Amino acid sequence: MMSFAFLWEQVVNGIVAGSMYALMAIGLTLIWGTMRVLNFAHGEFFMLGAFLALTALLGVGLPLIPAVLVAICGVFVIAVILHSATIRPLMSRPGWDFSTIAATLGLSIVLQDAALMIWGERFQALPYFVEGIVHVLGVRLPAQRVLIVATVIAVVCVLTILIRFTRFGMALRAVASDAEAASACGVNTARVHATTFGIAAALAALAGIILAPIIAINPWMGVPPILKAFVVVVLGGLGSLPGAVLGGFLLGIIEAVGVTVFSSEWREVVALGVLILVVWLRPQGLFGKPLREA
Amino acid sequence: MPASLAWIAATPKLWAFLLLLAAVPAIVHDAYVLQVMCLAMLWTVFASSWNLAVGYAGLKTFGHQAFFGIGAYVSALISIHAGLSPWLTMWIGAVSASIVGALVGLPLLRIKSLPHLAIVTLAFAEIVRIICSNLVGLTRGELGLSGIAPFSAIPLPWGGQVGFGPADRQASYVMIWMMMTTTLIFLAWFVRSRTGLIVQSIRDSQVAAESLGVSLTRYKLLVLAISAFIAGAAGGVYAHFVLVLTPTSAMGIALMVQMTAITLVGGIGTLQGPLIGALVLTLSAEGLRLAGDHRMLAFGLLIILVVLFAPRGLARLDVLIADVQRQRAARSGS
Repeated sequence: MMSFAFLWEQVVNGIVAGSMYALMAIGLTLIWGTMRVLNFAHGEFFMLGAFLALTALLGVGLPLIPAVLVAICGVFVIAVILHSATIRPLMSRPGWDFSTIAATLGLSIVLQDAALMIWGERFQALPYFVEGIVHVLGVRLPAQRVLIVATVIAVVCVLTILIRFTRFGMALRAVASDAEAASACGVNTARVHATTFGIAAALAALAGIILAPIIAINPWMGVPPILKAFVVVVLGGLGSLPGAVLGGFLLGIIEAVGVTVFSSEWREVVALGVLILVVWLRPQGLFGKPLREA
Repeated sequence: MPASLAWIAATPKLWAFLLLLAAVPAIVHDAYVLQVMCLAMLWTVFASSWNLAVGYAGLKTFGHQAFFGIGAYVSALISIHAGLSPWLTMWIGAVSASIVGALVGLPLLRIKSLPHLAIVTLAFAEIVRIICSNLVGLTRGELGLSGIAPFSAIPLPWGGQVGFGPADRQASYVMIWMMMTTTLIFLAWFVRSRTGLIVQSIRDSQVAAESLGVSLTRYKLLVLAISAFIAGAAGGVYAHFVLVLTPTSAMGIALMVQMTAITLVGGIGTLQGPLIGALVLTLSAEGLRLAGDHRMLAFGLLIILVVLFAPRGLARLDVLIADVQRQRAARSGS
């Protein structure tokens, strides 16, 4: 049963799942890295992306690519508005580290309920973006899943270029390392925060959209991905971009292999095991800065 | 009054209000009202346990629903399978929750990082819920664990007995009131004890507390264990009060959101906050018939509004009003 070919197939499947974890975790880690805020509503941007794409594609009847773009831009705008209504005013007050978490927790519940009222609780699905089966690395895969991995790799490349080589990226890194010094040098910190929050939400939306043909779209679909993203950011190191990417793929592979040893219901237990092990053995994660011992 | 009892004199309004609540079953006989009040008092205990960790010790955890659920499930399962009395099993449930709390806290509390605490506790609680719904053979998963015994009847010294089944809501009310009052008395003493003051000094500045020789990990672990114990005890009583458990209702995120809303609306870091919040939110949710669909929406909105506009909650409304008046005075002055 546990032949090498079978194990290899699981690893490839793990890479597909892991690429989605990575996309979610990149957003979380980006928000944490620039503004030291934990976004508990991140899963809801994943959900909103899928619903907006559904409406644009099947409700309005847009072609695929414009529909996806409209959905991503829509989530970006929603996220920027929510950021300036909730997180931004809290950031300047004492106790913001906790109040921003509480506010995003409230936001996540409100967004779930709003989606429930707008789209209903019926499980819906998007059609596959691409049909067919592709042979990759000796494994037969539906083309949609290959598209997921390809998209994630492309996004990581674009994001790396954005952060390393553009003026916005420079401002973002400046704000991340010292927000006060950055604003003293003329960087509009609030705008960098809002844009970063929007970009992170748009990445979550993208993950929701490309995964929508495979999983059911419903108001609560954002909860499992954010849990996995949490495990990934702890594994990769909170605030570390390469950590989020590699941690995502790593968790996907560990889960896929773990599931063959146990059974598929125990996928979450494997994730919990990874989380607890990391906190015990290497709390700063694979790429994080060392944390201070208490 | 000796200084060792000063903590009693510190919160006279709280004690008066608790005595007032004790009189409710003498006046109200409606089983539905008593049922709602019982739940409100259970949420008070649960929210108080979280309040101790977050409001007093500064441990920003989001996984207390797991301790509540572990207390509930352990107590229910032992009473079903071993035939033990719920009066005994609820303590086993509470101790189990406390042990799990310490096991999770042990690695987690060594590090000072707030986001790690928040992330790991939330993920831990959700994964415990998923495990609980996957163990269908033991817990019956989302089908619900039913057939849980109510608290067994107690014989009265003057003959007869007092039962705690669904028909005896007054007796349940008195029992849950006693539990809540015991919890609040303990917390009132604890937060003014030497240990409690050390714990609050950790909340206010970990660095300062540590520089004065406080062992951060030891005190944090103590608070988490006590807090998980109280949450587990609340869960145990909940199990033998509502008599049916599902992983979503006993340890889901909705439970945590409700408790967070209760604590924040009431006033985090105050003794009376969870009590005020639980009464206001539970009663108004029932009164407005927000039951079911849009209760969660209301809780989510309340959390956002409170952190934005009234961070001290209803318990310290005086602070909020003073702030508003000061702003108004400043505006008219300029």
